[in-house]
Amino acid sequence: MAKGQAERLFPLLEEVLAKAGKTWGDLTAIGVGTGPGNFTGIRISVSAARGLALSLGIPAVGVSSFEALAINHPRPILSLIDARREQVFAQELTANGAHDPFMATKDTLPDMPTIGPFDTVDPVAIARITATRFDDPGLPRPAPLYVRAPDAAPPRDPAPVILP
Amino acid sequence: MTQTLTILGLESSCDDTAAAVVRQTTGEAAEILSSVVVGQVDLHASFGGVVPEIAARAHAEKIDLCVEQALQKAALTLADIDAIAVTSGPGLIGGVLSGVMCAKGLSAGSGKPLIGVNHLAGHALTPRLTDGAAFPYLMLLVSGGHCQFLIAKGVDDFTRLGGTIDDAPGEAFDKTAKLLGLPQPGGPAVEAEARNGDAKRFPLPRPLLDRPGCDMSFSGLKTALLRTRDKLVAEHGGLRQQDRADLCASFQTAVSDVLAEKTRRALALYQELNPAQPTLAVAGGVAANQQLRAVLETVCAENNVTFTAPPLALCTDNAAMIAWAGLEQFRAGHRDDLTLSARPRWPLDQTSPAMLGSGKKGAKA
Repeated sequence: MAKGQAERLFPLLEEVLAKAGKTWGDLTAIGVGTGPGNFTGIRISVSAARGLALSLGIPAVGVSSFEALAINHPRPILSLIDARREQVFAQELTANGAHDPFMATKDTLPDMPTIGPFDTVDPVAIARITATRFDDPGLPRPAPLYVRAPDAAPPRDPAPVILP
Repeated sequence: MTQTLTILGLESSCDDTAAAVVRQTTGEAAEILSSVVVGQVDLHASFGGVVPEIAARAHAEKIDLCVEQALQKAALTLADIDAIAVTSGPGLIGGVLSGVMCAKGLSAGSGKPLIGVNHLAGHALTPRLTDGAAFPYLMLLVSGGHCQFLIAKGVDDFTRLGGTIDDAPGEAFDKTAKLLGLPQPGGPAVEAEARNGDAKRFPLPRPLLDRPGCDMSFSGLKTALLRTRDKLVAEHGGLRQQDRADLCASFQTAVSDVLAEKTRRALALYQELNPAQPTLAVAGGVAANQQLRAVLETVCAENNVTFTAPPLALCTDNAAMIAWAGLEQFRAGHRDDLTLSARPRWPLDQTSPAMLGSGKKGAKA
């Protein structure tokens, strides 16, 4: 959904819990998709997950869309997310880690097995990956994975020369 | 009925990420148990202003840390909190969203009620937190993003008498600093420079003083300053230090003159209500400016009105004011649920017509 995610997210989470016959207190950990994707969307879910983790006293685990997409695929693999404007976000997932994600056009990708590009991720994959990692004591708090730098330019007009 | 309330507040509507805990027992003075503010000045310094996307990125990764710190400093846990208040507008929407979503997470997991607070109500109710000001009082909110006169009549009842139709004075101070090669934030830098300057040297405009009412404009003043600077630079091959000091003094005096005259007019309208304890309160970062404070104090003295300004840390953006506004609104029965929206535009006064320059979507604030 393009609009209304902030309003819809918590009612949706409560519906999902109810369907599973669970309450907030039954949760062991919270997995959250960190993108890349819509900047506002990933901030909405990451902020919510961090707030929930704090109030429930359980870990929040950030899972990138790259990992979630490739959950059932052999590695190494190049995981691709639709970045609009004819571009993709790409990350090479290796047997025991990953290289830095980057942006590319579809015709300039390295020659290797790929998955995607997709623009949605299965939340079940996020939950499954979370289950494998939540008890790592060194786990960082989830943070949005933007890949794209913020659209900001330094001012054009320089400050005047100051004379004594 | 005597009731002690302990409220957690979250604020993330511009470039400060903040959390605070405020407690009050009915009929007693409020107590700020903790107030944590993490600024972003360094992140935005090279851009000459707050970049919304950069601000949003910072808020999303700091707001929960601020909450943890605020609880820790207050030596409390969420279980000791009666409700969670969060700025849900107006402001830079990316930051507001991070605060609102974090607050929803805190509320859902703890079962504590959620209250969406208008950022401007936070500023406007601060005189009650710090001085126990009685309604109705006149409020001049003057900051980097806002400039308006409000009559505060109740915790949810504000009348806007007027405000800026373009830039806020704080923004004008920042831009002045940028144009004159002074550091950010511009307010303190311009003020320091102005102390060595001649305020009468450059005749800068006093926009909208020739029009009735309490509306203001600061954008033309900034342009006049730019023209004067360009003339000086062309004449001398650069900006001489004394010229810069004189420009700062002339600019600051122009802003003060406008605010003083508009305050006279706002006070006249306010005094028609026959308030029992006539009071003018200021808030916002620009309220820290000593020259402005001095002229406002003079205007108040002329009109037999008490002047009050919260300490600087409670004038600029903070979460104690949000916790306090939430506390007052909680007492008044206000509650939100988990569908609470973040609002980029949210005028405190919903009835007064939108000001000139507000755009198609109506009043911003």
